[in-house]
Amino acid sequence: MTQALDHLDPERLSAYIDDELPASEREVIRHHLAVCQACALGVLSATQLKAATARAGRRFAPPPDALARLTAQLHQQPQTAAPIHPIRRIAWGALAAAILLAISLIGWRQSHEANNLSAELLDQHLASLSSGAAPQVISTDRHTVKPWFQGRLPFSFNLPESLPPDMTLKGADLTYLKGQPAALLFFTIHKHEVSVFLTQRLGGPDLTTLPATRSGFAICSATSHNLRIVAVSDVNLADLNTLLAALVRVQSPA
Amino acid sequence: MFALEALIDTPMRFRDSSQRAVPDDRTRAARSADFEQLALPLLASLYNHASWLTRNHAEAEDLVQETFSKALRAFDSFAANTNFKSWIFRILRNTFLTSRTGIAASRTVFLEDTPHALDTTDGGPTPEDNLIRLDSHAALQTALEQLDPPLREALLLCDVEEMKYRDIALILNIPIGTVMSRISRARRALRDLLRPQLGESQ
Repeated sequence: MTQALDHLDPERLSAYIDDELPASEREVIRHHLAVCQACALGVLSATQLKAATARAGRRFAPPPDALARLTAQLHQQPQTAAPIHPIRRIAWGALAAAILLAISLIGWRQSHEANNLSAELLDQHLASLSSGAAPQVISTDRHTVKPWFQGRLPFSFNLPESLPPDMTLKGADLTYLKGQPAALLFFTIHKHEVSVFLTQRLGGPDLTTLPATRSGFAICSATSHNLRIVAVSDVNLADLNTLLAALVRVQSPA
Repeated sequence: MFALEALIDTPMRFRDSSQRAVPDDRTRAARSADFEQLALPLLASLYNHASWLTRNHAEAEDLVQETFSKALRAFDSFAANTNFKSWIFRILRNTFLTSRTGIAASRTVFLEDTPHALDTTDGGPTPEDNLIRLDSHAALQTALEQLDPPLREALLLCDVEEMKYRDIALILNIPIGTVMSRISRARRALRDLLRPQLGESQ
């Protein structure tokens, strides 16, 4: 118990806010913080610095042409070696659509649908911005949001325990994408509104040919084991990808 | 400071690849799709981190591109239930170390963690220690730029990439205690850089 009187040295303080200490030591520190205002302030200040560092450190987003080249590289890894030509301002989605277009009518239909789909996504996002109508579930609590969808959707999904800094869950709605039921989640990232659509991977709309931007809004998509996830927002792409990644990460593989 | 094998892109000793059968074309395509699925969400993070390492857009892109092709080639040695993010960040870092910029950077000697017990004398934090300016995003970015690269690298992996010390230790190829002290030093250095000058803003 005498340990409770020891002030926090910088390393322990750092490890404490990073949640890297064993439970017993955390407990001792918590006792100390309850009685030591200076250390409590130190923890508060360190936490603020950590959050600010997370924002300031997330600084470099790939320029659109670099993003297009890198996503294209990932997508066509198996063929390898084909040099990727710089294509300015065309996201790989458009590139993929163009290739498919040349190959077959099916390709044409897919890109056509992708266009429709991106319009549909954007419309829904804009509707949520402008209507002022509250979503059906207003909650920042994942334990409220997730169960609400039970029985309303033919699939389930997970929400992360904690989101990256300055990202908040605002609420959720039930919606339809290309006639398929979808969960629509509302987030904010630094005051920017974000709509995230979750649909079933099997039988869900094809996202591979979605354009990366439409009317100035970024559209990002990812897939997990059984879900397709699309995010639409005017926030920067790096942050949008971070949110997507956080969502993909918590979807269970089995 | 770095063992030679750390410079070569041995993507961690993640289990045995020996037991896995030689993949035929179909499973190779499936692996490649798996890889895309895992790597795509990390693209922005990898690019951001590569930019901090190289401080140059073109080099950052090259670095991420090379990381992707190396990682895919080594993907068979990646075990499905291990941490893909730290695995690919380690490849990114090793690739950087063998690049021209990385080799140049490694010539700068970084003094590792001299004991600093002396500079904390009586240990009691003073309220002034907490007085820093966090209102300016730009000031913090400038301060981050001024950090020693090894300190910055550890701090960014912790705060921006939200990795555990254990994973950071693997990526940087240093003991976990060194990770802890680098992060703590980085934060104190940031504080010093952000502390308002006396009489500057009243």
